Amino acid sequence: MRTGQLAARPDVLGNQGGARRRGFFNQTIFAYLLNVPALIIIAMLIAYPVGYSFWLSLQKYNLKRPDLRRFIWFDNYRQLLTDSTFLNSIKVSCIFSLCSVILVVILSVALALLLNESFFGRGIMRSLILLPWAIPGVVNGLMWKWVFNARVGVLNGFLYDVGLIHQYHTWLIDPNIALAFAIFANVWNVLPFSVIILLAGLSTIPSELYDAAKVDRAGVVQRFRNVTLPWLLHPLLIVLILQTMNAFRTFDTIYILTGGGPGEATNVIALQTVRTVLDFTDFGKGNAYAYVITLITLVIAIFYVSTLYKRGSFEV
Amino acid sequence: MTAVSTRTQPAVAARARRPWPARLPWRQIAIYALVLFFAVYLIAPFIWIVITSFMTEADALTVPPQWIPQNPTLANYQGFFHPSFQQQFLGSRAIQDTPHALLNSAIVAISTALLNLVLATLAAYSFARLRFRGSQALMMLYLGSRMVPGVAIIIPFYLVLRALHLLDSYLGLILAYTTFTLPFTIWILKDYFRSIPRDLEDAARVDRCNWFSMMWRIFLPISAPGLVAAAVFAFMTAWNEFLFALFLTSTIKTQTIPIIVANFANDLNVQYTFMAAAGVLAVIPPLLLALLFQRLIVQGLAAGSVKG
Repeated sequence: MRTGQLAARPDVLGNQGGARRRGFFNQTIFAYLLNVPALIIIAMLIAYPVGYSFWLSLQKYNLKRPDLRRFIWFDNYRQLLTDSTFLNSIKVSCIFSLCSVILVVILSVALALLLNESFFGRGIMRSLILLPWAIPGVVNGLMWKWVFNARVGVLNGFLYDVGLIHQYHTWLIDPNIALAFAIFANVWNVLPFSVIILLAGLSTIPSELYDAAKVDRAGVVQRFRNVTLPWLLHPLLIVLILQTMNAFRTFDTIYILTGGGPGEATNVIALQTVRTVLDFTDFGKGNAYAYVITLITLVIAIFYVSTLYKRGSFEV
Repeated sequence: MTAVSTRTQPAVAARARRPWPARLPWRQIAIYALVLFFAVYLIAPFIWIVITSFMTEADALTVPPQWIPQNPTLANYQGFFHPSFQQQFLGSRAIQDTPHALLNSAIVAISTALLNLVLATLAAYSFARLRFRGSQALMMLYLGSRMVPGVAIIIPFYLVLRALHLLDSYLGLILAYTTFTLPFTIWILKDYFRSIPRDLEDAARVDRCNWFSMMWRIFLPISAPGLVAAAVFAFMTAWNEFLFALFLTSTIKTQTIPIIVANFANDLNVQYTFMAAAGVLAVIPPLLLALLFQRLIVQGLAAGSVKG
């Protein structure tokens, strides 16, 4: 593959006297040639689908009734405003994302601060943190489904043994508990990523700052507020943005754990989109749903990139 | 040394004078309590599914649960390859499909990683070494495409692959996963390439080595750690991905392991212990990679997000 692509550009490779000497113009051509393969893939399989998806979202298009396919402008979107399933899925997604992000931030800050201390077994803990990260979302859903199992689940067994409950509960049939457990399962899976980012942030704090704070007799709380927090703010912002974005597109874990149920209690927007397409083969409406996710993500992404830009860490 | 002893001695004296609860190392106790809490939180759910996978079905269904299986067995794992009569009778298709799905996953994930390296090396080199007009805009484009949610493009993606007759084929899946992972691979390779000193390339240039042989003989071997990290990320993404596999595959010819695991989860007749064993098998490759390349992964994740 590599040979093929390179051999196709003898003009560039032939007089390779050093790109710098041949000047800015030649460098630009060479650089774009190097980017051509990646750009083709991205144009064909991301840019085109994004545009085509918008085009489809303006149509009435059910795969089962292709004869009814026609252009209806923004009718799919207009229908969303009164579509109770959609509005509910937006609500569920918002609650899911908000709670996930809050939990992730609290737990990951605690865990990152802990792993930044020195204690016996720190190396093992730092390896352990990668375990949830490596687990595929599908297996994560399966694992928690087994833990929460009503009849033989380990959660019931544990709580009963400890004496916190006096009878086994069918956890996932209660709408509120199902949503809370879905959040919990998702948080377990996405936590390591945040911890790693925060740990990297913590490791950049110069230790002289802590020494100075100790000399000034600053307490633990003061040290955290005046030294750690300001340095952690930027990684924390990154965590917030990336986790919000990921939470809005969570699919695997919920699909396996609750399948959106009971009723529509955990029917997040990504799940609703897939259902609309796979179960009802409604491509027009499905794309309208999908575009709502894209727009939400886009807003967050713009925020993200501008944050990096302001900090000056976006150097190309 | 003297500085340390003069600083600690008054502290010890002060501690001795205080009443006994204050003399306990509260800070240490708090740290180890938290360590214990988080260690249990991180491993307990996974350990439970591993334990279940070594149980007989009867043991797995006892109430209260057996924390340590009384009759540990390998039958669940052996069953994937040589199902007993009873397993065949009770088992769903998912059990027979598991070995082939693992193979499919391996083929798709390895190909994705390799294709990523080829494409990303070229692009990343241009960002790391060349100054060119529009480099910033191009990087923005890559970053932006990384933000596009999979579920948003899945339908047109499906239609594109259908038009190309690539549904239910390895190539379709490989293309899909390469598209997701490429921007991130470019990003971390770019950072890695920048950290390599230019001296060797300059030396190669003096020796009239052309660009290709310079890359092949000098640049890429030095960048090996970065390439490995990038390949591991791409492999893991491809191995773990579920949504696109759900849309783009329809038969066991190409179905990957997450699809089979999902079939287990949705099949009411399936034996729990088989389900657990399939889950564990699906986790082994990414988990091994994560532990083997721990340092590279942590660096890569940190660089890939903190810096952009």
